Amino acid sequence: MELAVETHGLTRDFGSVRAVAGIDLAVPAGSFYGFLGPNGAGKSTTIKCLTGLLRPTAGTMRILGMDPLADPVGVKRRIGVMPEDLALFDRLTAEETLSFVAQVHGIDGATAKSRAGDLLELMDLKRAAGTLVTDFSHGMRKKLSLAAALLPAPRLLFLDEPFEGIDAVASRQIKDLLQSFVSRGGTIFLTSHILEIVERLSTHLGVIAGGRLVAQGPIDELRTGVAGARTLEEFFIGLVGGAAEASTSLDWI
Amino acid sequence: MLRILRAFAWMRWRVLLNSLERTAARDTLQRLSLAVEQLGPLLAAALFIPSAAALAAIAGYAGYGVATSGARPVLPFELLRFVLLAAVALSVAGPLLLPATERTNAVRLLLLPIPRPVLYAAQAASALADPWILLAIPMVIVFPLGLVAGGAGAAALVSLLAGLVLIAVLVGLSSLSTLVLHLVMRDRRRGELLALGFVVVLPLVTILPGLLLEDEDRRERVAERTEPRGIETVPSWVWTAGEAAFGLLPSELFRQAVRQSAGGGGTGALAPLALLTLTGLALHGLGLAASSRALDSPASSGPRRAAGRFAGRTPRVPGLSTGASIVAVNQIRLAIRTPRGRSILISPLLIFAVVLVVMHNAGGGAALGFMRLASGLGLATFGAAVCLLALMPFAMNQFAIDRAGLTLQFLSPLSDRDILIGKAVGNGIAAGVPALLCFAGALALFPGGHAGLWLSVPLGFLATYLTAAPAAAALSATFPRAVDLNSIGSRSNAHGLAGMLGLLAVAAASVPPLVIVVAARGSGNTALAPLLLLVWCGVCLVLCRVLLSAAARLFHRRRENLALVV
Repeated sequence: MELAVETHGLTRDFGSVRAVAGIDLAVPAGSFYGFLGPNGAGKSTTIKCLTGLLRPTAGTMRILGMDPLADPVGVKRRIGVMPEDLALFDRLTAEETLSFVAQVHGIDGATAKSRAGDLLELMDLKRAAGTLVTDFSHGMRKKLSLAAALLPAPRLLFLDEPFEGIDAVASRQIKDLLQSFVSRGGTIFLTSHILEIVERLSTHLGVIAGGRLVAQGPIDELRTGVAGARTLEEFFIGLVGGAAEASTSLDWI
Repeated sequence: MLRILRAFAWMRWRVLLNSLERTAARDTLQRLSLAVEQLGPLLAAALFIPSAAALAAIAGYAGYGVATSGARPVLPFELLRFVLLAAVALSVAGPLLLPATERTNAVRLLLLPIPRPVLYAAQAASALADPWILLAIPMVIVFPLGLVAGGAGAAALVSLLAGLVLIAVLVGLSSLSTLVLHLVMRDRRRGELLALGFVVVLPLVTILPGLLLEDEDRRERVAERTEPRGIETVPSWVWTAGEAAFGLLPSELFRQAVRQSAGGGGTGALAPLALLTLTGLALHGLGLAASSRALDSPASSGPRRAAGRFAGRTPRVPGLSTGASIVAVNQIRLAIRTPRGRSILISPLLIFAVVLVVMHNAGGGAALGFMRLASGLGLATFGAAVCLLALMPFAMNQFAIDRAGLTLQFLSPLSDRDILIGKAVGNGIAAGVPALLCFAGALALFPGGHAGLWLSVPLGFLATYLTAAPAAAALSATFPRAVDLNSIGSRSNAHGLAGMLGLLAVAAASVPPLVIVVAARGSGNTALAPLLLLVWCGVCLVLCRVLLSAAARLFHRRRENLALVV
């Protein structure tokens, strides 16, 4: 099986805190990989390591068969990333942001213009194309960041919480677009707290808790492997452990 | 009410303490960087206690002096008077310089179960923590003790009352100033205009004293003119009105109340005391109205802004790779589209224009405090130096100013070298264009001087910039600081250490061009100066490339810290 993302013992420490503790990811090429975990589990740190924003303390990584530490620029030519902080210049317009991305990826002017037009249309940002990003709402920024990640037509997309703060219409369109991307051979590595979306879109799943990978594999296999788990929510809570019964522990509410 | 005030005082205290505690430093360099940033507030805090004690002692002595000297002027009392005057001025101007977000986070405050007048009172009370008000409090408390020691018990009571009212007035001034600033700044466009005005005018204000200090020659020239001008031509009513207005300042009303009561005119103290009280009531009334207005519509407002005529077009900088070119263009866009960035372009031109006018009126010379500009060449060199200095907040924090945009660059297939070269070229253009305009202006109005020396000015500028640019990149990578380029005051400055070392780097880089010009002139071969400088520029270009490679290695090691800082 060809792997789009492969890590062995990926570890990242922040001082004495081990945020990611030796995880072995195996993301098949052409899969829609949902990466789940509770808050502070190490999801964003893992994505930052995979996309070159953080250097791992230990372990190895292969992204589309390449070593991102040895050839970071080569890897970045082939991936698209929508990070946690959205990574946008405040003082560029939506159009200029996409133009920036197109230029650094070496996309010619006509193609860049055509792709930018399509993406702005899809994200319902056409009217705001000439507006500075600093004046965008959170949802608009999110859509623009996603458009910037898609514009170079990458083979692998890293999306950190792409649906949070996006309206229902755009969310539907984006889901269709991402599914179409995967059906054409692309790979998506996605984190989200909206389990229904992950359940509907993902073909594969990885679950991280306390910096350790506690489950990984095709979503159907994983779900049937946990006794009594019919939904992804039940599977997830069964795996990472739920909080105490609210009705008994917070009876003063 | 007391419970709420206590909660607000606790919140301010925790914010202060938390800001001094060690944050998420990733390595030794970042720990050093954070420690240096905290040094200023810690030093200020350390100096605060002895300063407050010294001012209180002076106030006590002033009280004793006033009680025992009758109507005669008392030096410590005059000192106290001017310190309180400064407190009044700082209560108005302070909120412009210090971040006030903790006080004016209207959305958060609105969510609290507190009636609006109480909310205003709690917000206003937090102004008591402003350093200038904190320093004034012991003064107005100890001053009456001095009066008691001097045997003026009744006057002590009046001055204690006047002092407390004065503190209330200072709190009202500070709150009103903060709230008005908040109301202005919440409209984004209006806020940016104010910020731009502030950062452009501030450097101008710093050179004005130097310009106003006329040297002997200029005074003689003015004296030779036909009729006397200046102070004599101002109508007397202007001075009378000015003095009357000055007398209405809160610190002056406090002085009058104290003087009248100490002089035995107890009833005479009533008028200034009543006026001071009315001032306080009016200020807090206005403050309450402004607070209600801020709470009625807490979100920021203002129309969405388009980027202007050239939006969407991305010109290519000749001679650069695609990646470096787009980074350079983005750097220029950042300069054009942020108030702090615009100040780099506009403030040198404004300062230059003022000096130009002064020189023109004075017949070709201007005194700037410690230096004198006597020719167009001097003016052009001055313009070039000012342009380089104006670039400091940008160049010495060139990566962190991109904020999340830096992450986008890190995620893009851009090499470290592309980013560094692009930044260096972008900064160079941002400083070079105004420098070129200054040069052209000086040459057009005061064209005298050797052509070789005129050519030396842009060549010297280029050589200085080429040598300093790698240092700027290295310092920006070592001491990044998360800033807001829309803000005014310290929030848009580069890291203190980067700014200081950067200044030294620019000064050091300017030495060789100066030595070349002086040596060429000294040897009688002025025409040789531009040729030698041209050769030196070539050397600097090679040096710049080598040093930028070294800076790129440093930048590579610091990428992670940079990504975390922004």
